[in-house]
Order: sequence, then C-alpha cells, then structure tokens
Amino acid sequence: MFGYILPPPKEIAKEEYEQFRLAYCGLCHTLQRRYGFVSRFILNYDFTYLAILLSSGERCSPCQSRCPVSPLKQQPHCPGSEALDLAADESVILTYFQLLDAIADHGFRKGIKYRILAAMLRPAYKKAEILRPRFAAITRDQLQILTRLEETRIASLDEPADTFANLLAAAADELDDPVQKRVLHQLLYHLGRWVYLIDAADDLKKDLAAGNYNPVALRYELKEGRIPPEIRPQFVLTLDHSIHMAATAFELWDFGIWTNLLTRTIYDSLFAVGRSVLDGTFHTLQKEHKKYRLLRKPNERSVSDSGCTGDCDR
Amino acid sequence: MKDPYQILGVLETATDEEVKKAYLQLARKYHPDNYHDNPLADLAQEKMKEINAAYEQITKSRNGGQRNAGYRGGYGGYSDQRGWNNQSSTGSSVLQQVRIAINSGNLSRAEALLANYDNHNAEWNFLKGAVCYRRGWMDEARRYYTTACQMDPGNQEYQQALNYMESGPSGAYHPGSSVFGTDICDDNSLCMRMCCTYMLFSSCGWRICCI
Repeated sequence: MFGYILPPPKEIAKEEYEQFRLAYCGLCHTLQRRYGFVSRFILNYDFTYLAILLSSGERCSPCQSRCPVSPLKQQPHCPGSEALDLAADESVILTYFQLLDAIADHGFRKGIKYRILAAMLRPAYKKAEILRPRFAAITRDQLQILTRLEETRIASLDEPADTFANLLAAAADELDDPVQKRVLHQLLYHLGRWVYLIDAADDLKKDLAAGNYNPVALRYELKEGRIPPEIRPQFVLTLDHSIHMAATAFELWDFGIWTNLLTRTIYDSLFAVGRSVLDGTFHTLQKEHKKYRLLRKPNERSVSDSGCTGDCDR
Repeated sequence: MKDPYQILGVLETATDEEVKKAYLQLARKYHPDNYHDNPLADLAQEKMKEINAAYEQITKSRNGGQRNAGYRGGYGGYSDQRGWNNQSSTGSSVLQQVRIAINSGNLSRAEALLANYDNHNAEWNFLKGAVCYRRGWMDEARRYYTTACQMDPGNQEYQQALNYMESGPSGAYHPGSSVFGTDICDDNSLCMRMCCTYMLFSSCGWRICCI
C-alpha cells in the first residue's frame, strides 16, 4: 500500500529536497530511538510525508550522527520533535497492521515472510499501542472492516477504500488545533483513498492471476489485468475527485517550509504516478526516481556539516 | 489584524498590477467553485473574506482613502443562495429534513433518515449521492446521481450535480500552468475522443465536453 506518494525531484529546488532528506533521516533516527533497530526498516517516503504534514512547518536545526547507511561519516538530520515522535508511532502501527493484512491475504506458505516480519515488529507495535491507544484501536477496527469486505468480495470501490482512508485520516486526530485537525483529516482521508485505489489498480494483474480480492476488478467486472480504455475515464474521474479534495484541504493550512514541496507533490506527482500506474509504466517511473536517491550525492548538499547546530539527544 | 500585504503574499513595494495579480490568483484558489459541496467550504469562505479585506485595504490606502473605482466589493462571494435548496422538490418532509441535515453537515443524521425512507425515487437517489459526495465516496456519488437523472431527466438540480461529477475537477484550481487531472485531454488526442464517447454513452443530457 505504500510507495505511491513521491517527492517530484525535478520540480523542486535542491534546498527543499535537502530539507525533505533531513526529515527522512530524522524520522529514521526517531524510529531507532523509540523502537530499536528493526523498526528502521519500515521507513519510507509515505511516512516522511506523514511526518511533515504533522509538523509545525518550521525549519529544523539539524544535528549530525552516524547511522547504518552512513557508518563512517556523520550525516546531518533533523533532531527529534513531537511531530517526528507522532509520525514514528503511527508508522509502526500502520506497518504492523499492513503486515497482518498481508498475512490474511496470502496462504500459509506465501504468508511466512509476512509472519516473520510481523513477529519482528511486534515488540515495537506493543509499545506504540500503549503510546497511541486511540490510533491503534481505529486502525484495528478499520482493518477488521476491510477484512470482512474482502471476504464478501464486495463490488465497490468506495467502501473498501473508506477503511484505509479512515485509518490514515485518524493520524490527524492526535493534533490539538481544531482547524489543523479538520484540514489534515480531510487531506489524509483523500490521500488514503487515492493510495488504496491506485494500489488496487497496480495489483490488478497479480490479484487476478492469484484469484485474490481486487476492488477495481470487481467493480468494473474485469477479467484481464488491465483497465480497458472505456473504463479508464470513469476510474480516473474518481481518482481526480479525491486529489481535488486533498488539494482543496491542503490550501487551507499553512505548511510553512513544506508548502512548495507539498504543492508539487499534490498537483503534479500524484497525477504522474497515477498515470504511470494506469499505463503500466510505474516501475519505470520508480527506477527513474531512484536516480534521485536521497543519500546519493552528499557533496551536493546545501546543508554543510558545519551548519549542524542542533542537539541530537533531546 | 495581519498585514494585508502578507495575506496577499506580496511586498509593500509591489505595483498595483502585481497586487491585483496576486489577489486574483488567491481568489481563484479559494473561489466557491473550487469548494463546491466541500465539507471545508466554511474555511475557504473565511480565507476569501480575509483576502477580499486585504485587497480592499491596500487599494483604499493606495488611492488616498478613495475606494478603487474598479473594485466592486470583492470577487467570488460565498452568497447564501449557493447553499442548498431546503425545499424538497417532491414535498416530502423527510427528504426536506435530509436536506437540512446535509446543509448543517450532519451526515449521519441524513444517512439515517434516508435509510428509513422506503420510496427510492429520483430525489432519494440524488440526496443519497449528495451524502456520498460529502463523505468522499465519489464513485457511489456518481452512481446515485446517474440514477436520479435517469428517473427524472428534466431536473436541473440533479443534472447539475451529475455534470459536476462527470466533467470532474478539470476546471479546478492548479497553481502551475498545467491543467488539473491524471489524464489531461488535448484536442485531438485519442484520450479526448474516448472521453467524449464515454460521455455520450453515459450521459442523461448534453455535455459541454463534446462541443
């Protein structure tokens, strides 16, 4: 379900990209500090987006430390913050339930991989559940509803998408400001809905071959692993309505230093990703994206190591 | 009050033209058309008021206290008539209550009322679609609006809702020079032709798309 929300590398300034990397590495360090080494492996761009959406929008004062990816040279990253803590807790809970869902979706043999991963993440989940009981409960409930819908093989897009959208939207419930909470709730709901639907479209071929539940296949009665041209406009409309709702919500809150990055992500990157999934070229896009790997060119960074004034240990 | 220049995102040294351009860009972003039936429309309305007030303050001060002759009290007002017609077209008091519930944002109540109403007529389908839309259930919303249109093809209100669903947010605000949408149709592309074919088959009325 993850990996569809990507920063648009070509449209944003190097400086903004560097800020994103600082948050990305900051989240990784926060995961390590709160949940130990194993939890670092759940890190992805989607959770980094969650962290920046939940943040105050202010520039962090980076600190530097070594990490498994850069064991020799210290790398600058954002120090811990309330938003990073929240994003880390919610990421652990989301990943754990994704693994449980994957176990349910796969048979005994194919599910072994997910069983092992879930067992490894279980101690972290137990801790996160104590820290964020409300979010854990909503996530558990929504995934239970999703499992029931999958069992009945419901021919609806909105109903199963609603479950994933709801649990992502619940990530905003821990915020204090009522306006920020409303805006983020709506923004995350529609991002979640879009992610769920684009993931279903991406898995269409695989699911049909394996006989797995796929809402897009059921809704449009598809037998082949592609969305046919006569169905595509309908499906695109429903995706675009969600991006529109996410965009209109986004415009109602000040995201500070993240404004341009988020603008480009919502108004450009989501469309590009959606288009490539429907064209069957998403994996090419992902490869192209890897060229812009966050840690690739340390010499080109705009934040020099000497600029790190923050304290890593809060 | 916040600095009006800050609200419009321009420097105090900006020319009148630049101020106007910034104002129009923001007004397009928060325009009621961009927040059509949106659960956050009230927040957009507040933004719009803030922008209008900032622009008025700047033009006033620049014209030595005189109101700018070209300025007519703000652009894109959220007037009350944009809100929903509270009068049910079939005169059913239950459906009227559903409209009131939707207007006040109480979707659970609207849904409960609709669930207990057995006559699934055109208006019921339309209101069901409206609840779905506000919940973010876009696919079901389109389906209910389509049914409402098929049951009562002459109804302007239902037709408008369906048109909005089917033309999609293609006219929505986009910050760049690009158009809003996953599949952007340029005139002679295959995509455009397919879009039109689809519209013709699924429509219960004419479509601007195909003209």
